[in-house]
Amino acid sequence: MKSTVKQMLKSPFAVVSLLILSWFVVALLLWPNINLLFETFFPAGEFSGRAVERILSSERAMRSLWNSLLLALALAVSTNVVGVFIVLVTKYFHIRGSRILWLGYATTLVYGGIVVAAAYRFIYGSDGIVTEALLQILPGMDPDWFQGFFAVLVVMTFATTTNHLLFLSSAIAKVDQQTIEAAKNMGAGDWTILRRVVLPTVKPMIFAITILSFLTGLGALSAPIVLGGRDFQTIAPMILSFASSPHSRDLAALMALVLGMATIAVLVFLTRMEAGGTYFSLSKVATPLDKQRISNPVANLAVHAGAYALFLIYIAPPVLIVLYSFVDSYSIETNAFAVANMSWENYQRVLTQPNALRPFLVSITYSALASAIVGVGLLVVVRILVKYRNGVSTTFEYLLHVPWLLPGAMIALGLILSFDTSSPLLFNNALSGTPVILLVAYVIIKIPFTLRLMKAAFASINHSLEEAAVLMGAGNWTIFRRILLPAVLPVAAAVFGLNFISLVDDYDTTVFLAHPLYQPLGPVIHQNTQSTTDLNARANTFVYTVLIMVISTAVMWLVYGRTTTQRRRRPRGQREAPSGSEHVPSVARLVHQPVPGAQATGYAPAAAAAPAGAEPRS
Amino acid sequence: MTQKDAQMTLPLMSRRARNGLAAAGVLGLLALTACGGDANESAEASADDVQANGSTLVVYTNSDSHTNAEGQQSADWLTERAAEEGFEIEVVGIGGGDLTNRLIAEAGNPVADVVFGLNHVFFSQLVAAEAIAPYTPEWAQDVSDPALGDPSGEGYFHPIVQQGIPLVYNLDAVSPEEAPSDWTDLWSDEQWHGRYESVIDLGGATTQMVFSGILTRYQDPEGELGISDEGWEQVELYFEHGNSAVPETDAWVRLADREVDMAQQPGTSSIFNREDQYGIEVGMMEPEIGIPFAVEQVAVVNGTDQEDQAQEFVDWFGSAEIQAEWSENFGSMPAIQGAIDQADEQIVELHENLQIQDIDWEFVAENLPAWIEKIELEYIP
Repeated sequence: MKSTVKQMLKSPFAVVSLLILSWFVVALLLWPNINLLFETFFPAGEFSGRAVERILSSERAMRSLWNSLLLALALAVSTNVVGVFIVLVTKYFHIRGSRILWLGYATTLVYGGIVVAAAYRFIYGSDGIVTEALLQILPGMDPDWFQGFFAVLVVMTFATTTNHLLFLSSAIAKVDQQTIEAAKNMGAGDWTILRRVVLPTVKPMIFAITILSFLTGLGALSAPIVLGGRDFQTIAPMILSFASSPHSRDLAALMALVLGMATIAVLVFLTRMEAGGTYFSLSKVATPLDKQRISNPVANLAVHAGAYALFLIYIAPPVLIVLYSFVDSYSIETNAFAVANMSWENYQRVLTQPNALRPFLVSITYSALASAIVGVGLLVVVRILVKYRNGVSTTFEYLLHVPWLLPGAMIALGLILSFDTSSPLLFNNALSGTPVILLVAYVIIKIPFTLRLMKAAFASINHSLEEAAVLMGAGNWTIFRRILLPAVLPVAAAVFGLNFISLVDDYDTTVFLAHPLYQPLGPVIHQNTQSTTDLNARANTFVYTVLIMVISTAVMWLVYGRTTTQRRRRPRGQREAPSGSEHVPSVARLVHQPVPGAQATGYAPAAAAAPAGAEPRS
Repeated sequence: MTQKDAQMTLPLMSRRARNGLAAAGVLGLLALTACGGDANESAEASADDVQANGSTLVVYTNSDSHTNAEGQQSADWLTERAAEEGFEIEVVGIGGGDLTNRLIAEAGNPVADVVFGLNHVFFSQLVAAEAIAPYTPEWAQDVSDPALGDPSGEGYFHPIVQQGIPLVYNLDAVSPEEAPSDWTDLWSDEQWHGRYESVIDLGGATTQMVFSGILTRYQDPEGELGISDEGWEQVELYFEHGNSAVPETDAWVRLADREVDMAQQPGTSSIFNREDQYGIEVGMMEPEIGIPFAVEQVAVVNGTDQEDQAQEFVDWFGSAEIQAEWSENFGSMPAIQGAIDQADEQIVELHENLQIQDIDWEFVAENLPAWIEKIELEYIP
């Protein structure tokens, strides 16, 4: 499937697209980050070690770095403990009510990042619902009990088990029932089977998720800001505070670089480690997994109890928020809930008052635009990259993965520093201070994820279709429009949806770049978490959260829910491209595959270790 | 994909045209997005879109959260009051230090049209960064004392509100006789340990003024950033013995709850208003050396695309009439004589008797960002 650069350059469409892509990669992906290096080490045109010196001599900065590392390590462990457990009880063990349990565990799929942190704070924070209730029973209790390292770790753990639910679940489902039967026949117990048969077969997936969790912990911003308190500060919030001062920007840049280097180092190290291990593949004709009964009654009871305890922890915040979103601000403030006080008033206010509605609309506009741009752009780019396999296209593919290697803070800072005055790279426009900068950042951070899935979608199209079309004299555009587009459209739509819901409540990038007049939900929710002046602030946040959950649930259902009904219904593209769509894997399956298409092209960058659909959400 | 691909991409004329069209579509999309960010907000948002129709003035201030007797915040009050006068404004409230940083960062591409509320130290930084434009408002002659305004004499910014930055103490907890007499007492005298609020968010103008007032006493050309070791030790002790502020919780709430007994006060101007609001009475620490005196200013942002309107707004907002109303609502001490004459006597008297600390403001303006960075890195707990 190789084609020379010469062939590629014969197509004017490819040439124009690649020119635009080159401009984008150079101006917006590479230059800002290279410039960041310059700003850090050559602030006035000559080398300066000032930033390094200042950071190294700052106890607070070093402690924050250490805390970030600690959080990353702890999160990698805790997420796996909880994540593996919830996947086992919903997909592997025979647990009563496992479907209900799954729904509870899946709640963090529909609200993420700052929204989760804010939700936990509303409930367990110093004047939270649960804390106030606990204080009635235990008057001597510290009202700030849910703060610091512990609180940050707990919230981030629950927020990142989404990766397990999405990816580990499907990996477990592929475990061959026959191997388990064989182990049983050889006299292995439940625990031995789990440890020696099941877990080893899903090890690559656990490995990939571990990397993601680690990186999520390393760059954590929203959870430490909302719940870290005074004693647990991490590096990302510190970057944020230095980034705003022109005098101290080099420090912010240096810390962002450190974070970026750590990320790359971890990816390289873990990918090496993974390459060293040997993983066997399963039999080709796997028998579907049956749910396993736990034979030891005590263990069975304990697992049931644990599963339901976790279930309660997972559903408490969303359920309470939905309930409290219907009561008046005063009741929210005093944590007094009464069915009689319930009304649609908060919703009415948010949906009709321009000030309250605005952040929501701003977020939706930004997310929709960014998802559309990245979707359409990569549709074209991936088409070219898949069609022409040569050195140039491979290089582009590598370059488009750059955002995966860099923390959001670093990407944001690079854009701010590089485009604060009109730049020839942007045809003499400036980005800082405009609403466009956030859109650009959103597009950038969504590129790797979109690229992977789109590439997988293109790769899975049956090539004989395209060849047949060529033989019948179909033009390039006709082939794209009549064969390729219908085939990849379901995936494109799903990717659009997934990008959309992850951007709609984004905080980590937004807080650096948001225009003061167009504040999206992320920063507004953060403000509302802390506001003591505006009585309606909390109620508004609850409504935002519920609306986000509703939108996200709808999107998730469109993306994942349909796959379960697919056998009964015919997929949409069927009529337009009768034979094409048969070869299009469902989005859910694509998302579940670790690195679709990557091995096929013999290319596996460090980030490829991450599952295709995986994205840190906290 | 080898041979066939090559055939497929043979540049037939019609196809090329179509391909070109598609590429143009991509370009168009990119172009669309370039101006799309502000073009597709809600109907409401685009109605008051600044760049689009040029009718809304964006006003940056750190004086957005004063509260009047009706519980209305100053940002909302000003927006409403300006609307009566036909000015459509959008007030963006950000803490003083952060606001200055933002204006400097946006100097190449300004968002705001007018900025007010920062004191002359910050405004001097803005002048140096060419973030504000010189303009002489109609009322400039009526300022009670020319020394309150731009020290450079260039007239980049003009005074509106006078403020001392004091420490206040809850009179229920501390009597005026036993009250500390200076900031340094707070950490040198054990009885105040843990009883004063130490502020850890250095983005606010008040906090930066407090540190300026303390550090400038230890000016030393040999010392780090112009401050002697003894001076830096004061900062260390300030945090060591202070009761750390709680994020977004007003110090007055903590004073009223008796969580702390003393706290810095964003300005002498709003003391009486706040006493009423929080239902406590406070005393004001009066150091012999005096307290830092900050004069809040107003200016037109450099590069605004609505210069005429911005200037008109400054003329209106700084006028004796509006400043008198502002004073009446938020208890401020005006800088313009016409408004001082109408202001509450209690407020005027308080300010007339203020002992003003003699501070080398030029030295402060030059070093402040570096001081703040050092404190952030080395002293914040």
